[in-house]
Amino acid sequence: MAERVLITGMGMITAIGETVTANLHSLTHQHSGLGFTRFIDTIYKEVLPVAEVKYSNEELARMAGVPGQPGYTRTSLLGLIAIQEALQQAGIRDMQQEPTGFINASTVGGMCDTEKVYFDIIDPEKEGDFLRYIDTLDCADCTQRIADRTGINGFVTTISTACSSSANALMYGARLIKQGLARRVICGGTEALTSFTINGFNSLKNIDKQACRPFDHNRNGLNLGEGAAYLVLESESLVKQHGSRVLAELSGYCNSNEAFHPTAPSPEGDGAYTAMKEALAMSGRSIDQVQYVNVHGTATWPNDLSEGRALERLFGSEVPPFSSTKPFTGHALAAAGAIEAIYSVLAIQHRLIFPNLNFAEKMEELSIVPETRLLEEQAVTTVISNSFGFGGNNASLVISKYEG
Amino acid sequence: MAAITPQHSFEGDLFAQPLRSNTGNLLQVTEPDYKAFIPPNSLRRMSRLLKMGLTAAQQCLRDSSLGVPGAIITGTGKGSLQDTERFLKDIRQYGEKALNPTPFIQSTYNAVNGMIAVAQQCTTYNNTFVHRGFSFEHALLDSILQLQEGAPHTLTGALDEMSEEHFYIKSRIGYWKKEPVDNVQLYNTLSPGTIAGEGAVFFSLSATPTAHTYAHITGLKLLYKPAVAGISAGLSAFLQEQQLAVEDISLVITGRNGDSNFEHFYTELDKVLGTVPQLPFKHLCGEYETSGAFAVWLAAHIMKAQQLPQQWFPMQADFPAAGFQRILIYNHFFGEQHTFVLLER
Repeated sequence: MAERVLITGMGMITAIGETVTANLHSLTHQHSGLGFTRFIDTIYKEVLPVAEVKYSNEELARMAGVPGQPGYTRTSLLGLIAIQEALQQAGIRDMQQEPTGFINASTVGGMCDTEKVYFDIIDPEKEGDFLRYIDTLDCADCTQRIADRTGINGFVTTISTACSSSANALMYGARLIKQGLARRVICGGTEALTSFTINGFNSLKNIDKQACRPFDHNRNGLNLGEGAAYLVLESESLVKQHGSRVLAELSGYCNSNEAFHPTAPSPEGDGAYTAMKEALAMSGRSIDQVQYVNVHGTATWPNDLSEGRALERLFGSEVPPFSSTKPFTGHALAAAGAIEAIYSVLAIQHRLIFPNLNFAEKMEELSIVPETRLLEEQAVTTVISNSFGFGGNNASLVISKYEG
Repeated sequence: MAAITPQHSFEGDLFAQPLRSNTGNLLQVTEPDYKAFIPPNSLRRMSRLLKMGLTAAQQCLRDSSLGVPGAIITGTGKGSLQDTERFLKDIRQYGEKALNPTPFIQSTYNAVNGMIAVAQQCTTYNNTFVHRGFSFEHALLDSILQLQEGAPHTLTGALDEMSEEHFYIKSRIGYWKKEPVDNVQLYNTLSPGTIAGEGAVFFSLSATPTAHTYAHITGLKLLYKPAVAGISAGLSAFLQEQQLAVEDISLVITGRNGDSNFEHFYTELDKVLGTVPQLPFKHLCGEYETSGAFAVWLAAHIMKAQQLPQQWFPMQADFPAAGFQRILIYNHFFGEQHTFVLLER
């Protein structure tokens, strides 16, 4: 019998808070993190809203416990802050007691810092401290900075599958545990806003000039966000051995590819449907046991249509309450899957269903609408969390209340 | 298997291909005729790494004749550098306005995976690892997990390119040798830095052997930033896990690359290996994040043919006799990610 995979710690920083508790507070008080960037040099500074973490790199370095130390990119700093909270919550003080793996996710690595000095780096006439950022351009730099600072001593790697990256990191960590290759793995992702990604999504005409409106008839694109989120995954036997507190169970997951188009989902939501269906089958739950779906819900025209159709195909006329939390956090790309996995755990722990902000008008192609109110005192025991990305990469996670 | 590398590795009889030599410290791949693999409309839009990756993947599937894979898993250290570079420049040149999104889309690290999935109509598991010298090896580990979980076979690959611009960037922080080196002389010129390389190498991995099987991958061990003594201890532990003695290894393929900054890891390995024959491979493909895939490709060919492409090793005075039962690969990327891979007949 394969090990069950349990969540024993969580840590995060997003535009709506620098801890899990602060995020929960903003979610329940309906405080969105959207605004205009203070830190990115772009002509869209006052045009395209983003969900930016409210601290400068200097402030983040202090919060991460590395003030004044050079070489930490914003991506690394966000990740370091989030993982330290996760370790603390899981009660991990001495990593040496149990080999601990780290599966990180990133879409553009340290681009946030390298893009500012790239044209100096390629200019033979220029010399200076900026050369230290050369090695931070890739996705592995942030992972290793975080691993080295926290004393990670198991598997160390990084996954990049666009917007589903950290959902895939969670899945890979869970599989390493189930196959007996590790007993504890910390999984998630970190993402900092960059001019590169803002211009990338803007060139695809995917960014709304207003706050994003998931599942609304008049939705007009996403807003980018940044942040980091990590979950500590442990095997059930390790949890029992240590008597650790369990927050929830990662009971199912599925990675499925659409094989349809590099950047667009299939209109019928084939990939989303398969990912949700298979993840649910793995969890051993039936569709009537799902109380909440934290949808990918980017508010791009094609995503919400495709994902909405997949929901209708899977759940028929009994689609459970669903909402996109992206109007709170923006779309934090590689970090989104882990951020929303934590929100799914919070929904179970605090018996909540989070509101889908900015929704006004039902999509004419769908018969369903997202939940727009904060629902309290809900018996939430099983949540599906969706993350879909470029390259047709679809990932669904099923997070359940742990009943040992 | 299929490999687009600086050698003539893509077509024909490997054992009859001459060694490609180079003195520019940057080994670039020998590009095949992509038109046989990619329709002209798509080919025009695709950047170099995408062409390399998609072509190697398709050739690999032709070679294995296994049909649509149960999973597509790749590793890449840098993704499509040319697209990343181009989009950074476009942002600046066009003042962030009216940008062509193609380089942004193609710069995404999983772009090649997505294209292979579309070309093969493969809707199952798809993943991309982007962790320097572990990128390919974690793709391999993920593939082994997939096979154990029931996937009939996987398409597992590694791809990296080196642009002139990125070669220059990395030269600024001492990655490459300052003096031009003939790749054949790489191991005789121990000095700081090495020579750069690139490649796209794909494997069809199946849980059960076929008539066409090259080799059996029986072990994989990854060490992150070990101390020097951790290499010999790691190898001993690995052999113990495999219930093998050093003498059971027929051949060791090492990632030696003439870089005096990291040679001590290989000399540490020498202590454990004693008289087991060794062959280096970096003069053939250069140093890059996913060069481990080149080593596995080479080892698998040697295993199947039970012979060595001796013409590729002019620096070698003598060669071990045939009878390769087990080939061990040891590689590391600039001293940080160290990997052992074991292949059996």
